[in-house]
Formats: sequence, C-alpha cells, structure tokens
Amino acid sequence: MGAFYSWVAGLARAGRLPADFQYPFLTRGFLAVLILAPLLGGLSHLVVARRLAFFSAALGQAALTGVAVGLLLGEPLGAPYGGIFGFCLLAALAMVYVKRRSSLPPDTLIGVFLALTLGLGLCLLVAVTRRFNIHQVEAVMFGSLLTVTDGDLLLLVAVGAGVALLLYDRYNALLLDSLDPSLARAQGGDSAYLEYLFAVLLTTAIVVSLKIIGALLVEALVVVPAAAARNLARGTRGYLLASIAVALLAGAGGLAISTRLLVPTGGAVVLALSLLFFLTLVLGAVRGRGR
Amino acid sequence: MSTPPPAPPAPGASSPAPPLPPPPLLEAIDLAVRRERETLLAGVSLAVQPASIHVVVGPNGAGKSTLLLALLGQIAFSGRVVAHWRAGGRIGFVPQGFAVDRTLPVTVEDFLALSRQRRPVCLGLAPPARRRIAALLARVGLGGLERRPLAQLSGGELRRVLLANAIDPLPELLVLDEPASGLDEPGVERLGEIVLELRRSHGLAVLMVSHHLAQVRRLADRVTVLDRRVLFEGPPEQALASGAAGWAPWTRPGAPGPEKSGQWSQGQ
Repeated sequence: MGAFYSWVAGLARAGRLPADFQYPFLTRGFLAVLILAPLLGGLSHLVVARRLAFFSAALGQAALTGVAVGLLLGEPLGAPYGGIFGFCLLAALAMVYVKRRSSLPPDTLIGVFLALTLGLGLCLLVAVTRRFNIHQVEAVMFGSLLTVTDGDLLLLVAVGAGVALLLYDRYNALLLDSLDPSLARAQGGDSAYLEYLFAVLLTTAIVVSLKIIGALLVEALVVVPAAAARNLARGTRGYLLASIAVALLAGAGGLAISTRLLVPTGGAVVLALSLLFFLTLVLGAVRGRGR
Repeated sequence: MSTPPPAPPAPGASSPAPPLPPPPLLEAIDLAVRRERETLLAGVSLAVQPASIHVVVGPNGAGKSTLLLALLGQIAFSGRVVAHWRAGGRIGFVPQGFAVDRTLPVTVEDFLALSRQRRPVCLGLAPPARRRIAALLARVGLGGLERRPLAQLSGGELRRVLLANAIDPLPELLVLDEPASGLDEPGVERLGEIVLELRRSHGLAVLMVSHHLAQVRRLADRVTVLDRRVLFEGPPEQALASGAAGWAPWTRPGAPGPEKSGQWSQGQ
C-alpha cells in the first residue's frame, strides 16, 4: 500500500491530482469513501424500501453503546470492533425478534430499544471517560479520517464484497417482501429469514463504516441517498444508481469540505447529503410539474 | 355445527355433468383458526372443484381473509387442507393491493421480473424475462405499460398486474382476495372477463373472496357464505335467495337485498 500512496502523492505533486492526495491519510480516506458510498448507498435503497430508517438510527445509537462496551472490555481505542459489532448485532436481532412477535407498531418498539441503548450507553460512557480522554472517544463517535488504517480499509473491502454477494443472491426476494410480505410468502419467500438476513447485513455494513463517518452519523448514509434517489427515480435501476451516485457525491464532497474547513468528516458528509436531498426534492417537483 | 358441503357437481353451464363427480381440486376439512382466545374460524369445510369459480362471501370480520391465509399456509390452523394436484403445483395469489408502499420507484416490469429472473432486478432485466413479461401484460390487456411506475397505475391496472403475476407460470388454483375492492365498475368487469377467459382457455380453478354482489352473480359457480363457520354452500342463485344471503345489506348499503336485515349470528 505504501508504494501506492507515494505514487498518488507523486501525481498530486506533479499537479495531475488535487493537492489533497499528497497526504496518504487523505488518499486512504478517499479510497474508503469510494468503497463505502456504493456499499451504504446501495444498501440505502433497500433500507428505505423496507422502512428501516428509524431502525438504522437505533443501530447508530447502539454503536455508541457498543464503543463503550468494547473499551470497557479492554479493546484498543482505535478499533473496538468486537464491542460495536457484538452490541449492534445483539440490538438488531433483538429488535427484529421482538418486532416479529409483538403487535405494537415497529416505530414504538424501536423507540423503546433506542431509549434502552441510549441510557445504557450514557452510563457506560461515563465509566469509559474515567479511563480515556473524551476526545479520543469522540473520534469514534463522529468519525475521523486520521484514525483510518489500511487494516480498516481491508476490512471494509472484505465486508463490502460479502454483503454485496449476499444481496445479489437475495435482492429480488427482499424487494418483493418489501412490497408485499403476504404475496412474497405465497410465492415461497421466507420472510423471517429475509428480515434477519437484511438486519445482519445492514448491521455489518454499518459497523465497518463507523470509523470513517462515525457512530452518530452512519445512519444518514443508509437513509438519505435513497431518499434523494426516490425524488428522481422511476424504476429500480435508476433508484439504485441514483442512490449510489448521491452517496459518492456526498462522500467525496464531504471529504473535501472536511479537510478544508477542519470539521468532522461525518458532519460534512451528512451536510452534503442533506443538500443533495433538498436539491433532488426541488428537481423532482419541477420535473413533476412539467409532466 | 358446520354445514356439510352439498354434493357436487357444480352446475357449470358449459361443462356437462359427469356420471361421477371428479375429486375436488382443493379441500378444507374441519378447518379452525384461533387467535389467543378468540375463535376466528371453526369447523369450516369447503371444496373447490376443478375448473370452477368458487366465491366466499360474508360480512366484515367473518374470517374470509383468515380462511384464505390458512389455505395459503400462512397462518396456523387446525383441521386439514388437501390439495389434489401433482407435486410442484402451486397456488397463484392475487392480494388486494400492496400492503406496504406503492410509491417506491418500481416499474411494472421491475415488479413482474422479481419472480421471473435470478439476476437482481435493479441491475436490469434479462431479455428472456423482458419478452415473457411483455407477453404476460398483453394477456391482461396492459401491453405497453412495462415502464410505468407502479405508483402511477390505477387501482384496476394494479390489480391486473397482480393477476398477471399470479398466472405465470399457470397455477393449479388462482386465489383472489377481494378483487373488486376499490375498483370502478368497468374495472371490476374487465377483471372478471380475464378470470372467465382463464377458466375457459386453461380450465383454471378460482377461489375468491368478494363483497361485490354483481361480480358474485356473474362469475360464481359456487358460493360459500361464511361467518366464522359455513352458513351455506351452493350455487349462487340459491345462496342469494337463501336466508343466509343476508350479506347483501353489508355489501351495498342502501341497495335492496334479498333479506331486509339478515342476521349473521343466526344459524340457518
């Protein structure tokens, strides 16, 4: 990887790439965005189709608690993946399990879980800050390019490929189940399996993205791209492509903004995403009027 | 408690009555469904004959949709459901409409391709699937609507897309849940014509739940009047004329029914 970074830095010094790429950590961050955006943007169109926006927000919260759990269990500050993944997966499976067995509306149940994980997270974070500087914990909460390593990138690639492969296999069944679960079941779909599968895939993708865009804001990247794409798309193909395009644009744009204005990457990416959302909203409305 | 189904054969006008009645295509025997302490269905027996159109009628809360869900194997029940068809035969199901979200950017051909190709639909349609879908849409009179988003279809068009989805590959039995609900009269008639045509050309058997009096009269070979149990089963004229057919006031408020106020709770 080192040779690649110096090659890119050479190109940047020669003026053939933006000056940002002189720094390996920015090149690494950009690579991360290139992998992350299609992964989360692609997932987002199913998240919105399956009405899991609030569910994703709850997972982001759970990640915060997961960080605290991981740190308390002695994981390294730079990569408390065990705590995050373990706790998020537990929360995701518990939410799906209870949702499938309760007659309460899903948003009510998720609200209960959200409160639970937040309360737990708050208590644990206080314990964590006795041992760590809160600014170090902040890096995980809000995401920081400085802390992304080649190992994180490799994990992102491996997980991204795995998630994409499983989604490729089950996409049609998942979308049919989102449109009408009873029709999907009548055609032999296993809606319980699909629901758990998607929850696990989403959790995994969110966890490996945390270090780059942060626990608090990861949810935005699995909801807003599809929300923006929905303003424009007519068919599933356009829906997917527009979701990925919005995620890529916001990712690259947010990265450029964050390095120039010295704001957290996560915050900048989400601001860029929101801007794109309102842009597509206006575009969609104008186009709708023209029809 | 249950009324045993009167002996077949169904009085289908087109089919000559055979000396021995053929075995029914689908049989429900002493079916019961309970949810918590409430009995939703009890002692329901019903037989759908081959190439016949069997309609289940009854007031709201009579357990009609519950019966369909049980027959589709989607909810737990006691009793037996026996299907007399070759292995691998399937039921084609036409739901009332999309339960979840009609505003998703999904076109008609995207939707129909979901169960007709392995490749994810968002990566594009395979040419064989595209040809198959075009032919299918032409059969339900929707040729040329391939690229229209589902959200922009009328209720009748959406119902026909769902029908198209259910008849390819040809099922052993077509099950429709309230096919007339939310449709205007021409929409109801168009749907009825397609169902009759399917029966005529392919000998397709149909089981449907309906509230629509005119549709029942026009399509049904046999009617089951249901209110948590079977109140009556027989040809549509008898079902409409019998005391059990007090369902008319529920289906068409204000319209003169066969009975002024039938009471479902009163057994016949």
